[in-house]
Amino acid sequence: MAAIPHTLTRRAVLSAAATAPFAAHAAPGAWTRDAYMEAMRRSGRPVDVTEAQFQAIQARKPGAIRRIESYLKERLGSADPAVIKAFQEVPREYYHYVYPERRSQGGVAYEDDPKPWALGYGSALSDYLGQAYMTQVCKPQPGDVTLEIGTGSGFQSSLLSRIVKQSYSIEIIEPLGQAVSKVFAPLGYDNVQTRVGDGYFGWPEVRGGFDVIIVTCAAQYAPPELFKQLKPGGRMLIPIGQPFKRGQLLYVYTKDEDGKVRSRKDVGVFFIPMTGAMMNRPHPAGSGTDAPASATPAALPAEAPAKP
Amino acid sequence: MTRRMSLIPLFLISAAAVGYEIALTRYFAVAKWSEYGYWVISIVMVGFALSGVSIALVRDRAVRHGPALLRVLPVLLILSAAAGYHATTANPFNPLQLQNAATYLPQLGNIALYYAVLLPFFFLTGLYISLMFVLNEDRVARVYGFDLTGAGFGAAVVLGLMSLLHPFQLVPALLVLLAASSLFGPRPLRMALASLVALAASEAVLLGDGQAAYNDFKAIYAPLHVPDARQVAEVRSPRGLYALLDDFTERVDTDVSNNAGLLGVPGPPQSLGLYRDGNRIAALPKPGGLSAAYAPAALDALPYQLLPGASVLLGGASGGFRVQQALELGAAHVDALEPDPVLLDALRHGIGPVPALQPDPRVRLLPDSPLAMSRAGRRYGLIDLSGDFLEAAEANGAAFTAEAIAGYVRALTPGGLVSIPVSIREFPVYAVRVLATVRDALRDAGVADPAASVVVYRSAWNLRILVGREPWTAERIAAVKRFAADRSFDVSYFPGMDVAAARADIYNDLPAVNFESGEVASGAGSEDAVADEAGPVLRGEPSESQRAFNLRPITLDRPSYYAILRLEHLPTILRRLEILPQAEVGQLVNLAVLAQAVVIALLVLAVPLFAPRVAGQRDGRPPVLRPVIYFASLGLGFLFIEIFLIEKASLYLNDRTSAFALVLTGMLVFSGLGSLLADRVRHLGIALAAAVTVGWCALALLGLEPFLLATIGLPWLARAAIVVLLVAPVSLALGLPFPLGLARAGTAGGGFLPWAWGLNGAFSVVATPLANLIAVQAGFDRLLLAAALLYAVTFLAYPSIRKTLQWQPSPTH
Repeated sequence: MAAIPHTLTRRAVLSAAATAPFAAHAAPGAWTRDAYMEAMRRSGRPVDVTEAQFQAIQARKPGAIRRIESYLKERLGSADPAVIKAFQEVPREYYHYVYPERRSQGGVAYEDDPKPWALGYGSALSDYLGQAYMTQVCKPQPGDVTLEIGTGSGFQSSLLSRIVKQSYSIEIIEPLGQAVSKVFAPLGYDNVQTRVGDGYFGWPEVRGGFDVIIVTCAAQYAPPELFKQLKPGGRMLIPIGQPFKRGQLLYVYTKDEDGKVRSRKDVGVFFIPMTGAMMNRPHPAGSGTDAPASATPAALPAEAPAKP
Repeated sequence: MTRRMSLIPLFLISAAAVGYEIALTRYFAVAKWSEYGYWVISIVMVGFALSGVSIALVRDRAVRHGPALLRVLPVLLILSAAAGYHATTANPFNPLQLQNAATYLPQLGNIALYYAVLLPFFFLTGLYISLMFVLNEDRVARVYGFDLTGAGFGAAVVLGLMSLLHPFQLVPALLVLLAASSLFGPRPLRMALASLVALAASEAVLLGDGQAAYNDFKAIYAPLHVPDARQVAEVRSPRGLYALLDDFTERVDTDVSNNAGLLGVPGPPQSLGLYRDGNRIAALPKPGGLSAAYAPAALDALPYQLLPGASVLLGGASGGFRVQQALELGAAHVDALEPDPVLLDALRHGIGPVPALQPDPRVRLLPDSPLAMSRAGRRYGLIDLSGDFLEAAEANGAAFTAEAIAGYVRALTPGGLVSIPVSIREFPVYAVRVLATVRDALRDAGVADPAASVVVYRSAWNLRILVGREPWTAERIAAVKRFAADRSFDVSYFPGMDVAAARADIYNDLPAVNFESGEVASGAGSEDAVADEAGPVLRGEPSESQRAFNLRPITLDRPSYYAILRLEHLPTILRRLEILPQAEVGQLVNLAVLAQAVVIALLVLAVPLFAPRVAGQRDGRPPVLRPVIYFASLGLGFLFIEIFLIEKASLYLNDRTSAFALVLTGMLVFSGLGSLLADRVRHLGIALAAAVTVGWCALALLGLEPFLLATIGLPWLARAAIVVLLVAPVSLALGLPFPLGLARAGTAGGGFLPWAWGLNGAFSVVATPLANLIAVQAGFDRLLLAAALLYAVTFLAYPSIRKTLQWQPSPTH
């Protein structure tokens, strides 16, 4: 099955050149009602909102950011400033859209009670707490190259693109992938590339592989082909469970330098860390100490690869 | 028009109503998820209960206007059936959103909409049947007989139609039965014309503006909508709607090592995907060959390496890939069991572009269950259940019971192994429950120390339990460790394991979670939640998870695999709703339906309190207690026996659908015939019915399971005949009490008869979820025991001849 590239098509490049992008991150404060409506129009999803409606959305945003911060601190011990900054930059209302009905739901963005929203075509915009959690667990770094299988709304790739060097994304559903491929350029997110096709084989044209791979399509197992494209030391995340659960279980895979893969089942979206849990456990024979394995387990990063 | 002829419309309307009910459950199974179709049964009974109460309240007027109402009702039924179905299919209900505290509320509104649009049809059907009773008080038994046999006929018709029509087209077809009922009433021409117009209009809407479609979160939706996806074959059957897809997402579902690349082994090949009712059940090979080159990297390869050249009994052929895998791994002989007839037929003869499995003298393809095959006398080196076997068919759950596993162990050759898969994707605690089951099975098979005969190993997603009759040797354990280490798998249990030491080197961290407190083990080390509990469970000691979950062994009496929630901890369960596996949600739906049913039953019971005439009250002493007990017990008892029989028949026939069809149709037809005998046996009838029913229940409790297991190897037709022979006597008896009671109720005057009918309906609403609750929590034997007690109570509640006056009408009636 030939993949269908969308970004960097001639048309996208021309239109990007014709109008300055409304890059919220590039020009703080530039994200106005007019900018929002223009970006929506240019992404093929025209919408009409009043200034009051637009301001109501913006007024909810600081509260949502605070919720994200406190959630990350509770679950992971700290909130990665890069993740918080990405959430501040990416206008979430822009991604709330029901594609088959061509209907914007931007007015509900930054809801007080975070929840998943159906996008149509069997896809959902996950709740922002879950997305923040997953983004931080990925541990994205500025020089990273990331791949997402299952573009969905494009929000996750947009978030990553604010942190990493290059963000790739593959959508398997054609009408959704076609429509969402148009959402990045109007925001000036020129380091996101998407296409429609089979995610199983990853994006082998990208030389050097990926530091982070996220597989959000339903998978029965971790696709072996993707491990080949994961750099040593890279992380692969596979969320498990139906999309309307408020969070999903995450399988986090890491690739050792010798190419062996290890995994961790992360249930932190549902459960809080059990402080002092290690104190109650027998220690591995020969570990030579009776001291607690960690004095502050709750503060440890979620990504704690097993010792070899 | 003879009086006998006047009951034909009732026969047809009862047939259409049951057909409609089954068609709706099929719609829900295909378009949504099957557990939600369950609400339909509840809506049916609510409609019946409400209609009974309504007629009871306005009985005299109903008698006056009854004949006219009966003439127009078929037309109204056609219109309400069509409108109800159309609105049902347009309802945007998304069951998945029920599992999220922030999104469930609008979905409750959608469920309420289902009630609003489906109740009219079932209310009007109930009205028709109630009116027939009220207008034929002198021949209640005959009316009931036509009602029941009509229902049995309807069930048979719709099951037959399922082989011909798409599930979404069943309702349009059934409208014809409703239209036909107009031909047999008074003034047939005028009413037939009216029905014809209603039918034409309804069909135009249903066929011209069909809204039924797969929910876009069902497994089939995405594969069906990727570029170039094609449906290459379709099979319509009462077992489900099978669709074979050719799309780029389809691959063999096998758990291969994450190090497959390092091992130099290719990944699982692309395939076609076979879906039943929108759920994926198997990968089938693409034309051009069946390759299982990935086999050495697969999780399930280990026992083949331990037992080279084994004779293998394979539960589930996985579209032929597991057969090929077994051969690739060196099996000398493979008996592959594929109970799903469509899959078996695909393997034997091909389907669409999929070729038949290449004939091989080493391979036999059989339709039997592993439980039956392990009792057939042949011995195997390896009995291996495929990872997708449990989900492939409802009846396959029996393969994971303690009785079945004990049978496998007995059927092993010396040194042989049983390999049992458990998915730990969502809840690792299922592995703990299967281990408790294995312990029971081993003890049953005469193994003194079960903990010495078991090894558990796993990937991140799946786990395998290897069970032998003999203790594991050091060499074998070493081979297990080598296999796991090469593939980044983990060994979670072997005899003599030092769990703490093993924690130092875990490839796939599986944290222990405290379901009650909402905490997860965290820290620098890795975890293996299964390793922590396997040893204690195999030794019969209490384990950590037992507090939060019901981990009693799976048995033929309590065969539900997905039934680990402790419902007594409902607040905790609801607090953790979002993490529950989808399969466990069915139990919660059941509880919700039960709660709602109890409220309705109480409302129906309360009718005589505000309308004393309904109960035929004459002297201030309401003579309602006995009839309430009588009709409530009947409503409960009948369905308890029905649900018990469906379960046992599906074990015996190795197929839920044919079990459901045979038992439902058989019970309806034979109890219909029984009710026709009611006039002949009169007062002796109730004693006869109670004696036969209680006696049958006692015999079934004592001897049914051993009998079924002893004869499970018979050909399917013989087993089906035995099921009918089992169903017939008890059903004949079950047909008697209701018309006998109704006949008495009819003589009580007022609106007693329709109220009693409504009461029976209301308790039937309670019966289905209550039976499911009892069966899952306490077992099917207890359910049958409860049924026997209910029929004994029925007998006691029926007034003796001397006490007839207690139910007698005033002489002025």
